[in-house]
Amino acid sequence: MITVNGIHVTFGRGTPLEKHALRGVDLTIPEGQFVTVIGSNGAGKSTFLGALAGDVIAEEGSIAIDGVDVTRWATPKRAALVARVFQDPMVGSCTALTIEENMALAAARGRRRGLGFALRGDRRRHFRERIAELGLGLENRLHDRMGLLSGGQRQAVSLLMATLAGSKILLLDEHTAALDPGTAEFVLGLTRRIVEENRLTTLMVTHSMRQALDYGDRTVMLHEGRIVLDVSGEQRAGLDVPHLLALFAKQRGGEDITDDSLLIG
Amino acid sequence: MSEIAFFGAVEIGLVYALVALGVYLSFRVLDFPDLTVDGSFPLGAAVCATLLVAGVNPWIASLSAALAGSMAGLVTATLNVRFKILHLLASILTMIALFSVNLRVMGRPNVALLMQDTVLTPFYGLGLPDHVVRPLVVLVVVVAVVLLLSRFLNSEFGLAMRATGVNARMARAQGVQTDFHIYAGMALSNGLCALAGALFAQTNGFADVTTGIGTIVVGLAAVIVGETVLPARAMLWALVGCVVGSILYRLAVQLALSADAIGLQASDLNLVTAVLVAVALILPRMRLKAASKKREAVR
Ligand SMILES: Nc1ncnc2c1ncn2[C@@H]1O[C@H](COP(=O)(O)OP(=O)(O)OP(=O)(O)O)[C@@H](O)[C@H]1O
Ligand SMILES: [Mg+2]
Repeated sequence: MITVNGIHVTFGRGTPLEKHALRGVDLTIPEGQFVTVIGSNGAGKSTFLGALAGDVIAEEGSIAIDGVDVTRWATPKRAALVARVFQDPMVGSCTALTIEENMALAAARGRRRGLGFALRGDRRRHFRERIAELGLGLENRLHDRMGLLSGGQRQAVSLLMATLAGSKILLLDEHTAALDPGTAEFVLGLTRRIVEENRLTTLMVTHSMRQALDYGDRTVMLHEGRIVLDVSGEQRAGLDVPHLLALFAKQRGGEDITDDSLLIG
Repeated sequence: MSEIAFFGAVEIGLVYALVALGVYLSFRVLDFPDLTVDGSFPLGAAVCATLLVAGVNPWIASLSAALAGSMAGLVTATLNVRFKILHLLASILTMIALFSVNLRVMGRPNVALLMQDTVLTPFYGLGLPDHVVRPLVVLVVVVAVVLLLSRFLNSEFGLAMRATGVNARMARAQGVQTDFHIYAGMALSNGLCALAGALFAQTNGFADVTTGIGTIVVGLAAVIVGETVLPARAMLWALVGCVVGSILYRLAVQLALSADAIGLQASDLNLVTAVLVAVALILPRMRLKAASKKREAVR
């Protein structure tokens, strides 16, 4: 469960490049809901996910995860509640460390890290079993450096890493954008499976209207730092890509969307 | 090269192996280019020599020296992490400040250790010649440090420290308190360099404020030589590489100095080392360029 109340984020405050990236975002996401997030470039999608993860601290408003106010928590502290997969496969993993070292790192997310061995026999076995589930044959490459994997393999492993330690929410920022269509399809299927198996409260940013409607239970559109569309249930089921594209275009054209125009039949 | 010169080179190589391990921690593990070393090495020598003169137990004196070095590392880390001063500049500030601190610690530019007991004293007179005893004792210390450090870097805490250096953003997203790991790593790194300084003072019988000049370059040279002769990915072997690199580097220097034909003097050492490190830094880049040119040619 995520409760976001009127958060504002401004970059470069007081400079000529000041950018008011989030202008009062309100959003309540119940436990286990899978929300897709769309919006044009610069709409504030990544900033919003960053604000949930703690990379940027909201200067106004509040954020609560499962009833705990995390508004002032820095990223490492929030990591106990938040798992993420980044758009760039390079950002989300340590390329110079081995696959199993990356997994060990992720498995300790939200725990105190002591002086015990990071890779004990039982953990290695556990990692091998988990990575075998991906069906990519990576169980025999645990000692390979992460940097040797292809982008798609790395995103798949990143997704798996997100589930090695318990978390309340999963944040996916265009995590298939750097992949070819076939691999993107595979990683998305994996995403759906992992989200369902772990019943994670999920936010997934995407630029594909098709994906936004096909995956998850709810879709929100951000525009200029505000949520301008929020559909779920029947209303969303009745929506198809052209509808969404039209709404999208309308936003880009600068026209205001009033509440009435959201009632698409 | 005479037998004494050979053992002398191994001995100094082993002492500087601790510097190389420290430099490996800062430059390679944390990706933190740290020049504090030039100050923390003589700091270790100064603290140890002063305590020995005051009659303190040599092992306690050596550990105190390491502790003092850790403090120096913490100062650099604080300037960088807390006050956002660029790491190179932060470390230069600490290094310069340490020059004054070291003079204060010793009360004069150098201290001679003549009659004082050192960690080596109990091992002289066991039948082995002194010039063999010294490298042996240092070797035991170095082996212990390598084993402990390897164990540490393979722990959950150590893995988080390595991740901090490789990809801080990812590390934070995995709940790693990256700032804390930078503090810990810098303290450890400079503690090792100061311990090297303490052993240097005890094996050579003096501490001098000027011994620190160029320490960082020598440490880097050892790391680079080690990576070249022992390109290992496993933590333990990478650390062993630092030690081997440091010894090989000293042996090469000794060879060059003893070959009269080259006409090198001991005072040319810093120049030679700097050139060596510069070449070692340039070569991989040239190789990369050559490779990318080839790739373009194929296209
Ligand atoms: N660190 C930063 N410093 C300054 N400005 C920033 C920073 N991060 C984002 N911005 C600005 O904030 C606005 C929102 O950016 P954000 O990255 O959230 O957009 P987005 O919706 O994710 O876009 P995209 O689809 O291109 O990824 C943009 O105008 C961007 O230039
Ligand atoms: Mg973005």
